[in-house]
Amino acid sequence: MTDRNFFSKINLKAAGPFVALFALFMIGVLVNDAFLSVGNITNILARSSFIGIVAIGATFVITAGGIDLSVGAMAAFISGCMIIIMNALSNSIDSSIVIILLAILASVLVGAFAGLINGLLVTRAKIEAFIVTLGTMGIYRSLITYMADGGTLSLNFAIGDIYSEVYYGDLFGIPYPAWVFLTIAISGYILLKKTVFGRHCFAIGSNEKVALYSAIHVDRAKTITYILQGICVSIATIIYVPRLGSASGQTGILWELEAIAAVIIGGTVLKGGYGRIWGTVVGALILTLISNILNLTDAISNYLNGAVQGIIIIVAVYLQRGSWRKSN
Amino acid sequence: MPDTSANQPILAARQLSKSFGDVRVLNNIDLNVHGGEVLALLGENGAGKSTLVKLLAGFEPITSGTLNLLNSDGSRGNTGKDWDVRAAERQGVVLIHQELNLAEQLSATDNIFLGNELKQGLLLNERLMHQRAREYLESLNCNIDPREQISRLEVSIKQMIEIAKAYAKQSRVLILDEPTAVLTFKESEVLFALINKLKREGVAIVYISHKLDEIENIADRVVILRDGYLIGSYQSRELDKDDMARLMVGRELTTLFPTNPKPPDSAKIVLKLTRGSLPKLISRASFQLCSGEVLGFFGLVGSGRTALMEAIVGLRKLSSTSKLEVNGREVNYKSLATARDDGVAYLTKDRKSSGLLLNMGLRFNFSLFSLNKFSRFLIDQKREQQEFDNAIKIFDIRAGDLEIKVGNLSGGNQQKLLFAKIMAADPSIVIIDEPTRGIDIGTRSEIYRYIAELAANGHAIILVSSDMLEVIGLSHRVAVMCRGELVGILEGGEIEEHEIMRYATGLKSKLMKDGEPRCD
Amino acid sequence: MKTFYRLILVSLLISPLGISQPLGAQTIGVSIPAATHGWTGGLNFHAEETKNRLEAANPSLRIVLLTANSASEQANDLEDLIAIHNIDALVVLPFESAPLTGPVQNVKRQGVFITVVDRGLSEPNIQDVYVAGNNAEMGRVSANYMKQRLSAGDNIVILRGIPTVIDDQRFNGFMSELDGSGINILDDQYANWNRDDGFTVMQDFLSRFPDIDAVWAQDDDIAIGVIQAVRQARRQDELFIVGGGGMKDIVRRVMAGDALTPVDVLYPPSMIATAIELTALKFISNVPISGEYILGSPLITPENAEQFYYPDSPF
Repeated sequence: MTDRNFFSKINLKAAGPFVALFALFMIGVLVNDAFLSVGNITNILARSSFIGIVAIGATFVITAGGIDLSVGAMAAFISGCMIIIMNALSNSIDSSIVIILLAILASVLVGAFAGLINGLLVTRAKIEAFIVTLGTMGIYRSLITYMADGGTLSLNFAIGDIYSEVYYGDLFGIPYPAWVFLTIAISGYILLKKTVFGRHCFAIGSNEKVALYSAIHVDRAKTITYILQGICVSIATIIYVPRLGSASGQTGILWELEAIAAVIIGGTVLKGGYGRIWGTVVGALILTLISNILNLTDAISNYLNGAVQGIIIIVAVYLQRGSWRKSN
Repeated sequence: MPDTSANQPILAARQLSKSFGDVRVLNNIDLNVHGGEVLALLGENGAGKSTLVKLLAGFEPITSGTLNLLNSDGSRGNTGKDWDVRAAERQGVVLIHQELNLAEQLSATDNIFLGNELKQGLLLNERLMHQRAREYLESLNCNIDPREQISRLEVSIKQMIEIAKAYAKQSRVLILDEPTAVLTFKESEVLFALINKLKREGVAIVYISHKLDEIENIADRVVILRDGYLIGSYQSRELDKDDMARLMVGRELTTLFPTNPKPPDSAKIVLKLTRGSLPKLISRASFQLCSGEVLGFFGLVGSGRTALMEAIVGLRKLSSTSKLEVNGREVNYKSLATARDDGVAYLTKDRKSSGLLLNMGLRFNFSLFSLNKFSRFLIDQKREQQEFDNAIKIFDIRAGDLEIKVGNLSGGNQQKLLFAKIMAADPSIVIIDEPTRGIDIGTRSEIYRYIAELAANGHAIILVSSDMLEVIGLSHRVAVMCRGELVGILEGGEIEEHEIMRYATGLKSKLMKDGEPRCD
Repeated sequence: MKTFYRLILVSLLISPLGISQPLGAQTIGVSIPAATHGWTGGLNFHAEETKNRLEAANPSLRIVLLTANSASEQANDLEDLIAIHNIDALVVLPFESAPLTGPVQNVKRQGVFITVVDRGLSEPNIQDVYVAGNNAEMGRVSANYMKQRLSAGDNIVILRGIPTVIDDQRFNGFMSELDGSGINILDDQYANWNRDDGFTVMQDFLSRFPDIDAVWAQDDDIAIGVIQAVRQARRQDELFIVGGGGMKDIVRRVMAGDALTPVDVLYPPSMIATAIELTALKFISNVPISGEYILGSPLITPENAEQFYYPDSPF
């Protein structure tokens, strides 16, 4: 067996995102020494957690053939709810920690419920997922703008101070958000690859009719994916709120596109039937790295940041698909 | 009839070979296709018939060898690297697939003229197109309104439209891949008449089919493919059905249908349906099924058999007046899962669109219906692999590489995998719908043997089939449906081709009320 | 596979673009909103121009300019300025006041000198220097001009910006100056500081109100939209428009004595230049600079328009 055979055996589709991540990492190292500094690396890990956690939920939805465009608006809405609740309780309850815990509970409930609504509209009312989540996106976005009176909701400073530890603190040097991200990633991996539910998601995304004829509860499984997505959004929001302590109509804009981009870069197929949790994790890291690297150097005009991101995303997906088609 | 072999062939293939990557599927094929002749291509699934005709019609590029074409202007030449579907159709070489190639949202006329629309200046000449379309369809005895949208039409009508499409393209070489798989008896007759008409007009017909009696009927010449090689070319009158079967398989075939001993009289009734009905589809169906029995269900297209079976297993809802009893208990399955857990399983007739996930691997498909067997929350992948390996052996599923996608398996292996998938759930009552559609002789006999074994081991089988020979050969009793009614259950001497047909067409009925024939 | 290797090769070639700091240099980080509309376009232009000028004149000074599209992106930028560029001073125009207060505070804790521009933070004692336009004065100056031109009983309409503190300050300054003049305010609506919204809001005003004597557009981007709407309705002879900001197109019209836009009110995006220069002074000559600098908002008239005209600026 020659070397050539060895290389052709490496599944490029599987390795693609990792190679891209490595390449970006190398670029970062070469461009600026400070890239590898502890501060920068922990920043990247913490930042990628938001999109990463949302994207893991999205991986389930997309694998089962659906899509959820409302995640950014949902995040903004949940942030708003959390802040309002915490501010409201700040007078009646003394312990900030209790207040924060109550808000966290509320967040998960709201997220799960929002996911349930999306799921039911898609499965029972039989409306296309794109349309349903476009609609709920608009609803949540305008609800948060209404709640913030067009401006910004700010968290009570005393509570905010204690809560900020959740984002800015760390365990063994790794920021808490990254630990949460890791936990969700591992759980997501097990759920998608090793359980019956995960198999059902793959089957439904591949061919719903076949899934139905294979005794799978298609509607129930699809609804659960949306609920999982909602809970992931809740968790991401729980970590996000302490960072800036505020929510406005501008919060979470374009998160849905970033989450979906992370999922696709990671190798999950947009039309369903194939999903990779670790690919999604890598996708989220890649997106965060791109904007970090653009900040490392003056070489590219700031105006073109958006263009560079777009180009890299297209290239990453193309390289992945190109090799995929060949091995088919 | 002109001596066709003396004519110059319209298409001449010389040492034609095709490989997909490293896999060689056709080896050095020499073939002549003459005008005014019906050439039948015979072979088991995987022999290379579909691939060969795809090369001829430009659907796949040639790996090596030449294809020589008699152009419409009289000159001869080899096709080049640009021999694709468009080039082929321009030269009048048209392939009608097994899988229909119609745009569902467009009308019949739109589809018939797709790619060569009739224009008046810059705009489409719709009136003329509708008129011509109607003419083509009428010559096929198909009296639908060509403005009708494809998605609303029956599969057999769609097949007719495909043929009308080829008609509109004025083909010189018409290749038909399993055209009668979805046609009724009458419609097949119309097709044969058309084929003869085209033959007289000098068109070359290449015909792929597994139905040996059809081949006997219409073919002038028969060419046999086996494992990618061309075994031989014979005049049709030289061969009879047994010869053909033997040449295809390359070995002596034992009788197609195994002996099937009747179930003992002590056999229990495992399933009983009384006054089964489904709004708009089934008005009346009552029958019972014993363990160890094969109950055949025959009927013409649209008689309601599949709808009835789907209703029994919970995919559709039986009306409230129906009464279904399984193992003595009254049941009303809300979902396929509940039916399965009760031991009742359904093997769908559409293995590609509702039976198997073509994009996924074999093991994934195999375990999908029976996942609850080796898992609580996490899947026991070791056990899954064991059961899968076992099933591959039992069902003799052949795939070059077990990691390939199911879509790349031959039809016969796909069907066997579907069997394995359903049987993995250990059902005691198995409803099998059209098990051998588009399957070669070799695999068919394997499947028949398996069904007989299942019955002998005490399973209860319902066999829905439109293949008369199959129904007669395998069933202990035959239920016949006509236009949504179960009009009779035949036993013993009644199980005979013409008698069954009488019931299926509504000429006879064993139903008590309304003695008048209701079907036409 | 080859393509991937090529990519890595290319990235190796890009590496020299990385900049590392010479010893003894000082770094100023500048964090501002991205150039999404006219005013921020001007902001970015002046920031770049100042950076180039200062770096050329002072080799030991390094300025890193980062722009952000949202509050959280700006928070990211602040983190990067600390972690990667090790800044000594920060010049920041916060995207929104409340959410950026925490992050700027974090920067301050690293011992960095803080200059805040235009939008204040929720806690005023974080910054060392505050440079801003005078939003209240902008409102007052505009109202004053209206009072000179109009009399009691005349009608005006108001187009506001994005609902923020700045917008409130301008509006309140305008309203308090106008109080008691008898001028009738028909309605005020948010036009979000952009041309499209200015256009549609003005169109609606024109349909609803047959008699409008003047328009307070408050911002030149809005004014452009208003001009188009008014022209389309052919009512340019009935009214005049007062914008704000100092956009070169409007300033040019003022210079030419246009009746539709007779004046403008200054709210210069070049205040970022002021802020950066001031901050740089701390390192160049070590003079005391801490404090507040509120730039005036004078009325731009045909007489003085020339000095406010920057033809090279995108704004």
